[in-house]
Amino acid sequence: MASSRQRSAASKRAPFMMYDVCIIGSGAGGSPIAYELSNAGYRVVVLEKGKYYKEDDFSKDELAVSRREKFTPLLKDEQHVINDRSGDGKISRYVGSEYNWSFWNGSMVGGSSNLMSGYFHRMKPDDFRLKSVYGAIEGANIVDWPIGYEDLEAYYEKVERIIGVSGLVKKHAFLEPRSSGNFPHARLEVSGVTKWFDAACGSLGFESFCTPRAILSEDALGRKACSYSNFCGSYGCATGAKGSARAALLQRCSAEIIPEAFVYKLQSDADTITKAYYYDKELNSHAITAKIFVVAAQAIESARLLLNSKNKYFPKGMANNNDQVGKNLIFSAGGSGQGRFRFETLTKERQDELMQRGVFFNRSLQEWYEYEEEGKRLKGGTIDFLFEHANIISRAKKEFYNEEGRLIWGRELQEKIHNSLTASRVLRFEVFNDWLPTQHCFVSVDDTLKDKFHMPVGVINLWGHPHDIKVGEHLAQKAVGILQKMGASEISYSISSSPPPNLVAGGCRFGNDPKTSVLDKNCKAHALKNLYVSDASFMPTGGSVPYTWTIYANAFRVADEIRKTLTQTLHTRQI
Amino acid sequence: MILNARRNFLKQSFLGTAVLVMSANKLFGAVSPLQTLALVWEDLFAHAKENTPYISLILNHSRVSDEEKQFLRNGVQWLNEEAVVMYKQMYAHLDSSQRQEVLQSISDYRWGNNWIEMMLTYIMEATLGDPVYGINKEEGGWKWLHHVSGVPRPKEPLL
Repeated sequence: MASSRQRSAASKRAPFMMYDVCIIGSGAGGSPIAYELSNAGYRVVVLEKGKYYKEDDFSKDELAVSRREKFTPLLKDEQHVINDRSGDGKISRYVGSEYNWSFWNGSMVGGSSNLMSGYFHRMKPDDFRLKSVYGAIEGANIVDWPIGYEDLEAYYEKVERIIGVSGLVKKHAFLEPRSSGNFPHARLEVSGVTKWFDAACGSLGFESFCTPRAILSEDALGRKACSYSNFCGSYGCATGAKGSARAALLQRCSAEIIPEAFVYKLQSDADTITKAYYYDKELNSHAITAKIFVVAAQAIESARLLLNSKNKYFPKGMANNNDQVGKNLIFSAGGSGQGRFRFETLTKERQDELMQRGVFFNRSLQEWYEYEEEGKRLKGGTIDFLFEHANIISRAKKEFYNEEGRLIWGRELQEKIHNSLTASRVLRFEVFNDWLPTQHCFVSVDDTLKDKFHMPVGVINLWGHPHDIKVGEHLAQKAVGILQKMGASEISYSISSSPPPNLVAGGCRFGNDPKTSVLDKNCKAHALKNLYVSDASFMPTGGSVPYTWTIYANAFRVADEIRKTLTQTLHTRQI
Repeated sequence: MILNARRNFLKQSFLGTAVLVMSANKLFGAVSPLQTLALVWEDLFAHAKENTPYISLILNHSRVSDEEKQFLRNGVQWLNEEAVVMYKQMYAHLDSSQRQEVLQSISDYRWGNNWIEMMLTYIMEATLGDPVYGINKEEGGWKWLHHVSGVPRPKEPLL
């Protein structure tokens, strides 16, 4: 439910009010700034396109959440155009609503962090200097980051404490340097099948470890522990255990949140953003004035907002005089695979272990975060193992075709569903490796198609570098070996260039050279004094892990930089 | 106003209006879409019978696209036209084994395969969705698959 309290706060706002900070987007990129600066006494407003849902509004309604996609916009109202570039350079245009191709995640206060599974991995020191360590790759725009791991380590640690990360630190070849000991929260309960998994890895000589999760295993931070409801990823958390930006940050600070506020344009003079314009749900336009503006609307939408904000100083879009906005969009490369364990191959004890509900799997491998091929060091990635999602309708849907690939129904289908869902279980793996930035993967805006706010829709120009597939295949083969060793059957996997919409970054990369980057090393636009971009847009390369921990950590870092700026402004005035 | 008028028109046409069935470019007859869909549900999945009111819920749903609703309705027309080609009868007038033959026949067409898959998807939604939607009576679908729902359960349906 949208909060009426929050709306009334918006309506009571004085029209001339000048905020210290206006943040556009309330997800993992914007909320740390709202939290830090409002707690430091600054006047902060957060504009969020989606509704304000809280713990009481969340349920495990598969029809609403997964089938009718309650938390994302209808594509007829808001969509993207996808220009898909094939290997031979041919580009095919797909209008999202016509092909039911959605790039939305969670349109709500707290953004998609509400719906994440919370697999939390830090980037490794070498991820910050990919070009220096692994060299250039033809056709890819690989660069080193303007900061190093050591600049972010303290913020990774801060996220562990404030967002709440549970797990167990285990030394392994690619464990990143840590300034603290173990995670602040004990690891979550896991399935008995992890014993089979650990034994298989042991006999193969592989080092697995307990996956860190942004989920509280105990009551802490004013939030309740995980209830092991068995429905985590894709669903909002009803206990507050999941470290969403809303539960962990926005509900714990005094920043003013205006939900259902779609920011459609930024106004500026030659070097300063002066206003953010937004539409409320009745399509009435409002303007916000602030000293500092922070864009954190998710990588694609942040670039789109800048490109749609043209004026005489920035005729190609805000901060885009060097044609860098939207460029070097990246996703997480890799893919996923699975194997099935059937009752007929298992003892009764193992059958019971297999069907344990609620508990997690939580096993990861980073054994091949770097590996050698033909004498050359290659950057590899991460493999996470997890059980198939508990969603019962989607699991039944997977049984519609028989082994010959023919659609079945009636008694044949009924028996197949019953056998698969009551006497077997699927263990999955997900591979994360670098999606190399290239000139062919970028965000632009469409010349003709507009959304319900009458704004040009974002265009996602897609291309995946063939190197990404090569690395993904290498990792997937290792995961397959583990499933085989465990005795799984029906093992399959898919590594492709298809972009995961929930793992997107880049588009406003940070760097030291304004000709090749949009943002400086503090994520402030080179061209503007008071514009920051603090979602995953800043990332020139993405590492081989899910992005959320890094987004949170960097946003806490940017919050410190903004605080310094605001303090200096105050100090200057006092002088 | 225009949007509302269009919505009302679509609502009327999806549910109330009969589907015209053609044969050799001539009108063969008319059928009620809801009646045909309910029978197809039974033919595809015996337990679906008690959940057929869910079809109306889908046809009225705010988050099911007009294109999908129209395809659902078009399928009723094309299914009956196939029945007429094969048996010179409307689908509802065929016996059970003839109806299965018609379903097998359309499943060879791309539209038919997609349409049956769509029906099966909605049947699974109605069999295994939360009872708050007036389906899955006494959690019969969940008991069948030994499924335990996540909690909290929804207090109201999303329509």
